[in-house]
Amino acid sequence: MRNFFRGIIRASSFFRKEIFEILRQPRLVATLVLGPFLILLIFGIGYRDQPRSLRTLFVAQANSAIAAADIQKYGESMGSLLIYAGVTADQNEALDQLRGGQVDLVIVEPADAISTIKNSQQAVITLYQHEIDPVQVGYIINLGRLFVGEVNKEVLRAFAVQAQKDAVTVHANLQEAHQNVSAMRQAVQSGDEVLAQRTQQDLASNVDIVSLAAGASLGLLDSLPQTDGTNGGNAGTVQSILTDLRQNANQLGSSTGNQAERLARIDKIDTDITDLDARLAEFQSIDPSIIVSPFRSETKSVANVQPTVSDFFAPAVLALLLQHLAVTFAALSIVRERNVGTMELFRVSPLSAAEALFGKYISYMLFGGVIAAILSALLVFALHVPMLGNWWYFALVLAAVLFTSLGIGFAISIVSQTDSQAVQYSMIILLASVFFSGFIMSLDLLWLPVRVISWMLPTTYGTLLLRDITLRGGAPNWTLLGGLIAIGVALMLVSWRLMRRLIGSSQ
Amino acid sequence: MKGNDKSIAMEDEVRVPASPSRPDPRQPGQPIDSIVSAQHLTKKFGDETAVQDVSFEVPRASIFGFIGPSGSGKTTTVRLLTGVYTPTDGQVIVFDHSPAKFSQNERARLGYMPQLFVLYPTLTVWENLSFAASLYGMGLFRGKRLKDALDFVELYEHRGKLARNISGGMLRRLSLAATLVHEPELLFLDEPTAGIDPVLRRKFWDHFRDLKNQGRTIFITTQYVSEADNCDLVGVQNNGKLLLVDTPKGLRHHAYGGDMVDFRTTQEFDFQAEARLRSLPFVRAKTVRTGPNSMRIIVDQASTATPELMGWAQQQNIQVKAVEDYAPSFEDVFVELVRPEVNHA
Repeated sequence: MRNFFRGIIRASSFFRKEIFEILRQPRLVATLVLGPFLILLIFGIGYRDQPRSLRTLFVAQANSAIAAADIQKYGESMGSLLIYAGVTADQNEALDQLRGGQVDLVIVEPADAISTIKNSQQAVITLYQHEIDPVQVGYIINLGRLFVGEVNKEVLRAFAVQAQKDAVTVHANLQEAHQNVSAMRQAVQSGDEVLAQRTQQDLASNVDIVSLAAGASLGLLDSLPQTDGTNGGNAGTVQSILTDLRQNANQLGSSTGNQAERLARIDKIDTDITDLDARLAEFQSIDPSIIVSPFRSETKSVANVQPTVSDFFAPAVLALLLQHLAVTFAALSIVRERNVGTMELFRVSPLSAAEALFGKYISYMLFGGVIAAILSALLVFALHVPMLGNWWYFALVLAAVLFTSLGIGFAISIVSQTDSQAVQYSMIILLASVFFSGFIMSLDLLWLPVRVISWMLPTTYGTLLLRDITLRGGAPNWTLLGGLIAIGVALMLVSWRLMRRLIGSSQ
Repeated sequence: MKGNDKSIAMEDEVRVPASPSRPDPRQPGQPIDSIVSAQHLTKKFGDETAVQDVSFEVPRASIFGFIGPSGSGKTTTVRLLTGVYTPTDGQVIVFDHSPAKFSQNERARLGYMPQLFVLYPTLTVWENLSFAASLYGMGLFRGKRLKDALDFVELYEHRGKLARNISGGMLRRLSLAATLVHEPELLFLDEPTAGIDPVLRRKFWDHFRDLKNQGRTIFITTQYVSEADNCDLVGVQNNGKLLLVDTPKGLRHHAYGGDMVDFRTTQEFDFQAEARLRSLPFVRAKTVRTGPNSMRIIVDQASTATPELMGWAQQQNIQVKAVEDYAPSFEDVFVELVRPEVNHA
């Protein structure tokens, strides 16, 4: 028991020593607290959640299928994404401007779009860019897709507008057909076969015209339920009405049936004409833009809060900072003892490796905990980063991140011969964390075997767990937390073994 | 492979004989009660041999001085004795155990002051001492002991200063305080008086003697060979080899081949008288004339030679003014002792 208490006293010597040494560096402490806070603050103020606007120059030949005015219209239809910088026929000049940085994008219209389309091939609109950033290149590729989508939509819209204009003529034909039907009915009822035959021919002629014209116009309307997919059973209704109409109109002419049958057929024709007219009126009332683009998306979150970009990054910054702080402090800790020469003193003294390590763990955990508490308070209460979850869970995750990061730091410290080496190793861990921990990009973007590196870094666990707690308000994923602590325990054991070699054995 | 075999042998033989047969140089005829025993100790760093075949024993409750020039292997020897280094060959026994096998309790009985300051520049004098006390498990009520230790090294008034802001001599004193604070039974002090002013050095040595009188053992290295006079036993180390272990008096005797006495007469000493004196059987050949009527003579034993010199003078009608023992300085003794080594080299 006495030895146990002496062990505690020996461990506490490091606790006090490390704290005193840190407190003697107030500027360091201030930097650790204020640095990340100010970075997040400035980032939050400075970040603009708007897509980049690209100065775009169009290239179109004089005989281009798309008129210059339309090109400008297409460019402007992209809103702030494209800044229309003009149109030119000289592609080389446009590309020179691109290379010279005068424009960000050059869009070249296809030279012979009409003949290409007539050959049942897509005409290609080419986008030239001069970016080296893969993210920006991806952005421009997506912008190109959006632009081509807009152009296609405009073409279809023009088609729909034309169809609506044509529908006016169809409506007149339908009205005429309707009159033919009334006359036909009277002729059949009065038994005037000559008038009936003549009227039937007029009706058949009008029905043919309607079939040709309304087929194209109303086909667009018919396609709406098909796109939805839920009304597949009604697909082709207009077409079937027109077919019935034509058959009935023709059969009226050749029919030798009795009067009742002929009148029933006339009633059916009348109903179909009325139905078609109603549909035509509906078609005319719809905005052409809606006809060619009937659906749009709208995304809604079921989360309780919609975080800003800086809110989203705040937990990751906290995890990364704590990891870096713990790794660096621990990495320098033992290597400095060795350089100062105190290891020689420790080897002769009754101090054990476990006591030394325990003392250092406790001191850095406490110091890191204080820094984490101040930073968290600043983030939540000064920057208003959401904190939807439980503070105890939050503290538990931070403690686990600190614990595991210290293990990495101590392992680095024991294998490093100099301060510079320890700092270099710490920087490599930091760099790996920036790239592999999900700090700047989602882990899903990494090849699966490479994610092994991610899962070796405390920041990966810390970022995921802290985001879940702060932004979703949930409990931590216990498997992740357990994994993080397991790595920490393994590192502690490794550090302890290495420390025993330093303190416990002779050279 | 040889080194490994020796290491295994050393671990198997961790106990010294219960009753060492080696005589204590301080008390001839008495067996030595050694607290530290080094047997054929050798330490190599690569091809370089830092310590070669060194054997000695440190009696309990004694001050064992280890003197030698810089680079003679003193610090390496201390590190071998404290377990910082493992011997390449030979064995070390401290507290009846190999230092490599020390328990925490045995380590707590040791005090070690390294040659260089190894505490923390960013801590104050008090904090550094408190850290050292904690390392040895001293409890919370240790304030008085810390104060006493700082008082002893005259640093109490400077207790609030950062170690990086005090002088080199003060750092040595702080190191010594840190070594003494837990009142160890066996102290290894590697040049504790380096850079300390003479007055404080005298105080240190007084304290070391007090500690010895309390039953503590001190193994101390120093470049100030004059300090050997304060030791019970002195080992003289040069070029990694231990030349001799003896009492200070024994070292002088060994260095000059006998004791030195100053022989002074009332009248001038002529050359014939000097030749007759030199031919006496208890007088060694080497005599030095220190004045017209005085000579420094090396004799077998000063205690027996003095009456014989008086009798010879009476026979020769020479009036003797004084016959006195002369203790040459340890600088001279050291030079004499290492001279054969230097000449051989």
